[in-house]
Amino acid sequence: MTDIPMLGGSAGASGGAPRDAVAVFEAHRAELKASRRVWNIVALGAFTLALGLSIWISNFYPDRLASGVPRIFEYFGTIMPDLQWDVLFEGRTEDGRAVPGSLTFWYTDFWTYVELIWETILMAITATLIGTAVAFALSFPAAANLSPNSWIYWISRRFLEFCRGVPEILLALLFVFMIGIGPLAGVMAVAIHTAGALGKLFAEVNENASDRPIEGITAVGGNWFEKMAYGVTPQVLPNFFSYAMLRFEINVRASSIIGFVGAGGIGQELNRVISFYSDDRVLAVLILVVLMVTVIDLISERIRLGYIGRENFA
Amino acid sequence: MSMASIAAITPEQIATARATHPGAFGSLGGQVRRWGWLAAAVVYVIVSMWYFDFGRLLDASERVLALLRAFVVWEDMETWQYANIYRGIAQTLAMAFLGTLLGTIGSLVIGFLAARNVMPIRLVRQVIRRFLDILRGIDQLVWGLVFVRAVGLGPLAGVLAIFISDLGTLSKLYSEAIENIDRKQVEGVKATGAGPLAVIRYGYIPQVLPVFISQSLYFWESNTRSATILGIVGAGGIGMILIERFRASLYDQVAFVVLNVLVIIFAIDWLSKRIRLWAIGAKSE
Amino acid sequence: MLKLEKLTRRFGDNLAVNNANLVIPDGQMVGIIGRSGAGKSTLLRLLNRLIDPSEGQILFGDTDIAQLNGRELRAWRSDCAMIFQQFNLVGRLDVVTNVLTGRLYDLPAWRSLTQVFTPRERAFAIQALDRLGMAHTALQRAETLSGGQQQRVAIARALAQEPKILLADEPIASLDPMNAKIVMDALRDINRQDGITVICNLHTLDTARTYCDRIIGMQDGRIVFDGTPDLLTTAMAREIYGAEADEAFNEAATSTAIPAAMPVPA
Repeated sequence: MTDIPMLGGSAGASGGAPRDAVAVFEAHRAELKASRRVWNIVALGAFTLALGLSIWISNFYPDRLASGVPRIFEYFGTIMPDLQWDVLFEGRTEDGRAVPGSLTFWYTDFWTYVELIWETILMAITATLIGTAVAFALSFPAAANLSPNSWIYWISRRFLEFCRGVPEILLALLFVFMIGIGPLAGVMAVAIHTAGALGKLFAEVNENASDRPIEGITAVGGNWFEKMAYGVTPQVLPNFFSYAMLRFEINVRASSIIGFVGAGGIGQELNRVISFYSDDRVLAVLILVVLMVTVIDLISERIRLGYIGRENFA
Repeated sequence: MSMASIAAITPEQIATARATHPGAFGSLGGQVRRWGWLAAAVVYVIVSMWYFDFGRLLDASERVLALLRAFVVWEDMETWQYANIYRGIAQTLAMAFLGTLLGTIGSLVIGFLAARNVMPIRLVRQVIRRFLDILRGIDQLVWGLVFVRAVGLGPLAGVLAIFISDLGTLSKLYSEAIENIDRKQVEGVKATGAGPLAVIRYGYIPQVLPVFISQSLYFWESNTRSATILGIVGAGGIGMILIERFRASLYDQVAFVVLNVLVIIFAIDWLSKRIRLWAIGAKSE
Repeated sequence: MLKLEKLTRRFGDNLAVNNANLVIPDGQMVGIIGRSGAGKSTLLRLLNRLIDPSEGQILFGDTDIAQLNGRELRAWRSDCAMIFQQFNLVGRLDVVTNVLTGRLYDLPAWRSLTQVFTPRERAFAIQALDRLGMAHTALQRAETLSGGQQQRVAIARALAQEPKILLADEPIASLDPMNAKIVMDALRDINRQDGITVICNLHTLDTARTYCDRIIGMQDGRIVFDGTPDLLTTAMAREIYGAEADEAFNEAATSTAIPAAMPVPA
């Protein structure tokens, strides 16, 4: 009922015949539909083209796949340990040899692995701490609402983007060349990437901080550093902590593969056993890596929840 | 009662305030609790840097200079086999595209099988979930290395590595999206007497499709980025060119390739932001 | 003595404060009234230089506040304390630290950044809190307090600055009548006993009449009334408040006239 006076009104306003509005609407609708259809066809075409090109460029042909896939299963067969139940828990014999089929035999190099896993975790902790410190310092100038002036903002933003943009393993490769094989290269690479990734997140947290406490500190005569220390930091610290812990979990993973290019940690051993042997040692190391990652995730989650819980009840 | 100025405060007044409000004067314990964490972290970093032989960073100046020089001074540029480099880049993009596409297709199936409200059998769900956990627990680069051993050097290993690691992560995200849907719409479809596949098609898909699409787009972006480095373990793409020339000590060419990689990474970031905005805009139309 | 000369602030084409001329002698308690958007808040923020003026001068003694920069500007802000409608405390810091932030200007950098305060400063902060009846909350987090309590802590922070002037931007607009009265009483107390000039934005007319020696009325950025409360006629007030007059005159809603409205305990 209400449509009719409105239609009349709009037709009257445009001064044309009353049916015009409907016709215009229909034409517009048809046009929209047609343009959407064109877009869908274009998108589908682009997708098909991309798919075809991708298959061609990466030689992803059915015959290669057909010959490759069985080899995958074959490979996973070769890395399975040959464990025998009756000797599973046998220790070493008097002359120091392990009995084939026992866990001791499978994990002959167990203590080497443990040492490397320990090194991996230390690398991740150090890199996370250094990266977090840099990210913390840069997150204030890189926050649009806090930066003292626009060129400091621009420089710190671009710097963080650069640190985040370069893949860790690439950085590690360059560091290995510059300072030699060893965990230091890995620590540097992961720390730089962490500074970039966390710096961006921290800056976003800072941008969402309430400006009231900051205004309060401005009004008592505080300088820029005091505004950051008293007005911003207490607000954002719990968030920073959570992000840093999450980053630590990511860094444990990163540290476990950074050794592929010689930058220390369990990755070096993982690379060695996968590249030079195809036997049960591969699975032995892989299991330890997955175990390490899972345990670290669990611990980190507990710490995070514990901290946040304490924050809420304090 | 007017207040004395701070300069006029007497030791007696300080003593009184301390006696009535001891907590407000801070304690050694409080200071230790506040700064202890920071001090421990600083000490840890110093000790670990010593352990990791931090001094090497300072000794390395010659090699650093050599590398920096190679990054600026480019020689014999006509012999650099550019076709090879750009074929590597094309391969990288292709690997990411195919890997993500396969991962998405696989996750569509597994995601539904791992969702509580679709798969009623607890055991099946649990087995699938633990399997996904393992896929996720192993890094993409490790998968790359494993597949290089299994199917040989080249992009096929890279596609498979991306596929497998996406399967682990995307399936989990998909199944969570499916578990979070609005039940009423599903019941509405069921009430019409539709079979189980029709329920999925009309009850679930319309609700989860936008989430699926945005997740897959995001993964496509991040995979393109990681595909640039998969070649470092031999799994195809630009990373393979990079590591080859690195091993051959052609550092100026390495610098050129690294610059190309960075350009791709920043271009992908930009492009994917555009595509996501466009996709979201098209959805809300 | 605070003297404003042709003070103007533009936001785009909008004149938030338009050619304000005022002389405020030391020790006066001044209320600024006007409807929302009349420029009261901008005027107060100009005085503290949270906002920079577009034109004109703010003279305190011989110094032009409008020209100050860097450390001198911060010195002025520390002399000219400000209280906000939303208290602007650091919610996650404890109350006594919030009050101690009032001393930041006088602290060397290493002490302010490591939060090291001397026993003398702490005793002073406790005294300031005690004066507002808030010393018992010294170790609580500011965000756990009620609005009225937070505003009292904010006043204690202002006192810790040892200010010459106290600016209050709608200090009671977010408070219930009971707390509003406590806060206004505290401001009057500070004005009477310490001789600190208090300049206070107020939304309600009767509060201004009850507490202030002098009332300034603002309309569309201009000062349209300046005089003692008894000179402010109802007609004049209606003129200043315009469409918001009924709200401003509604004493039960937002006023401090609590004793009349509440049963007096025997």
